[in-house]
Amino acid sequence: MKLTRSALACALLFASIGTAPAAFAQAWSYKDAAKPYAGTSIRVLDEITPLQETMKTLVPQFTAETGIKVEYELLNHFEVINKGQADMLSRRGYYDGVMLHGVQFGQMLAANAVEPIDTYMKDKALMNPGLDLKDLIQPSFDTLSKFKGQTFGFLNWNYNFVYWARADLLNDAGEKTAFKAKYGYELAPAKTFQQFLDIGEFFTRKAGTNLAGVPLKTDFYGILHEGISGGATLNSVWENIMKNYGADLFDAAGAPSFNTPQTVAALTYWAKMWKYSPPGQAEYSLVDVPTVMGNGIAAQSLAFSDFVLGIDKPGASPYAGKFTYAAVPSNPDFKGLRSAGGEPSAVVINKASKNKAATYLFLQWMIEKDTQKKLIEAGKGGVPIRTSSFAMPEFGGSQAAFYTAMKDTMAAMKAKPKVPKIFELYDALGPIVQQVGLGKITPADAAKLGQDKMLAICKKCTL
Amino acid sequence: MSTLTLGAYKRRFSDTAWYPYALVAPALLVLVLVSLVPFCYAAWLSFHSVEYGQVGEWNGWDNYLKLIQNDRFWNSLSVAGIFMLIAVPLEFLLGLGGALVLNQRVWGRSAWLPLLFIPSMMAPIVVGLLWKIMLAGSWGLLSHNVIERFGMLPGTSIFASSDHALIALALVDVWQWTPFMMLAFFAGRQALPMSPYRAAAVDGANAFQTFFRLTLPLLTPLLVVIGMLRFIDAFKIFDSIFILTSGGPGVSTESPSILAYKMTFEQWRIGESAALAVLVWLAFFVLCNVFFQVAKKRLNAF
Repeated sequence: MKLTRSALACALLFASIGTAPAAFAQAWSYKDAAKPYAGTSIRVLDEITPLQETMKTLVPQFTAETGIKVEYELLNHFEVINKGQADMLSRRGYYDGVMLHGVQFGQMLAANAVEPIDTYMKDKALMNPGLDLKDLIQPSFDTLSKFKGQTFGFLNWNYNFVYWARADLLNDAGEKTAFKAKYGYELAPAKTFQQFLDIGEFFTRKAGTNLAGVPLKTDFYGILHEGISGGATLNSVWENIMKNYGADLFDAAGAPSFNTPQTVAALTYWAKMWKYSPPGQAEYSLVDVPTVMGNGIAAQSLAFSDFVLGIDKPGASPYAGKFTYAAVPSNPDFKGLRSAGGEPSAVVINKASKNKAATYLFLQWMIEKDTQKKLIEAGKGGVPIRTSSFAMPEFGGSQAAFYTAMKDTMAAMKAKPKVPKIFELYDALGPIVQQVGLGKITPADAAKLGQDKMLAICKKCTL
Repeated sequence: MSTLTLGAYKRRFSDTAWYPYALVAPALLVLVLVSLVPFCYAAWLSFHSVEYGQVGEWNGWDNYLKLIQNDRFWNSLSVAGIFMLIAVPLEFLLGLGGALVLNQRVWGRSAWLPLLFIPSMMAPIVVGLLWKIMLAGSWGLLSHNVIERFGMLPGTSIFASSDHALIALALVDVWQWTPFMMLAFFAGRQALPMSPYRAAAVDGANAFQTFFRLTLPLLTPLLVVIGMLRFIDAFKIFDSIFILTSGGPGVSTESPSILAYKMTFEQWRIGESAALAVLVWLAFFVLCNVFFQVAKKRLNAF
């Protein structure tokens, strides 16, 4: 009997220990946490894409739960950068929260314009113990938000590149036979850089020749890529190509390291890609790439996945449903860590905000599992920031290949290093990289010129 | 008696040297507030280091030195110069020619004259988007159906070619602003007195003589003012370049406005961009003054 009683006591003790966090998590609520801030109004500036437009439809639920009014303003990419940064740097504090892409972090941290959130995360009244930060996708979250022992936000948007190709062409029996005869291996979505080039070469055809058994009315191209001198061209060249050759913009000490044999090799590959590209590639921005791909004049591309979502849906393109996806191809000759391009981004608390705690609650609510679930359900998919989200039914079925590609990319995707003068560096290197693609400058000369330009801007570039 | 005194006072004030200044004072005050104050602030900023929007120490001529040592600055001036030299003379000649044609009794003139307003009324951003739809490589209406189909630019597109992009941008400007020039010159031509033309007809002057001896001299003040305004406006070109090429390929279409935008809003080099603004303003101040003096003395335009 004694034994039974002891066993029961032990069982109860274990049960209570085991359920304690869960019970506390249940006890914590946004309603209670927000009581001191009920009636407060906060302004949050974010970028306008379908993801944020869906989030905007959920924001009233936060207000209903907390009593905190949120003016969730959505502007286009450039306006968010201009208006958000200007407000943060001016210390006016008009916006309480501002979305920053990873690339902006260095500049804003150097200006001491971002509020660390560690204090709020340690505050039991504010921090939801059930938030489960370990579920946020890595290495995006850590490389984006954590810096020198502090946390400067969560992970809100996880923009990423995917390999995007025409499945109807890759699966065409005649094309498969011809490809195998020419290259000696099966035609399938490219996994390596060499395969990417081979497929590019194979499908680059003149008007009048056949494509999948049908005569082409206009020229057709094997590779489509952003090529404008601004935009995200350099981003992709840096993270999707250079890093997979062991090249980087900066060395371990943060000094410019553009003039290396690895960079020359990567730029040589980049120049080869242009041989199989449409003539207008140098003017294509990240918005043009999906448009052109949707027009059906190219076989494969590297593109931001959230833009792909806008094309591969019924009614958006005659080729919707005929695409396939994979992770960004890699370079098997490079034995280091694989890299894939993207732009992890976070809404941060403006240092000049007068409503930091209320803003923190909103940022935390944005990344809650429940909010993310609703976001994905309302958007019928999206770009996950939580690993657990990939298990949702929205990411399976006909879209499984797309989301598998996305997941694979995210596994190799890091945020940018914190470089205060990154936009100056982009502005200096962008035109050079573009000129390599256009064949106006050799990769070796570009590497040397780029290094000189970088050194003129900063000797040690990272924070 | 009191009425007389008040009348005398009024006359005395209108006779004083202050009277004209009092009349222009409101306009001058607005001009100072909206134009000179920001310019003076920019000039003040150009002599300071400005880090992340925070004004720092006085740094003398540093920003100017950095700017004149920057090859992108000189490139942008050259881009603006070439752009102006292509666009404005074409707009001027086509506008003047069109105005003379309009001045004839063209069939249905009053019906289709308002259509000429359309390009000038469009927001520059819309003009940029319109021409992107027309000329974008591989999918633009003209690019796809004409330029690429007939192999007019093998291996490249208009805005992807550093040899053609700037010319194309200048032609977009011509498309937008020629109708405005045409309408302005047409209005000027309509306002000219008829008697000299009647006298010329009696004297047996032919069309060329009438144009070069009458129309052109009489229109000169208008032509000079409109031409000068278009030169200034063309130098400031921003929107269509921003939409169509972002300054590329390379930096072949990077105008001073595009460069200043990048320096200010992307890179936060506010001291240097303020120096750029001051230098451009000074250059225009000098050029416009020279232009004004020449127009006044040689062309009797003012």
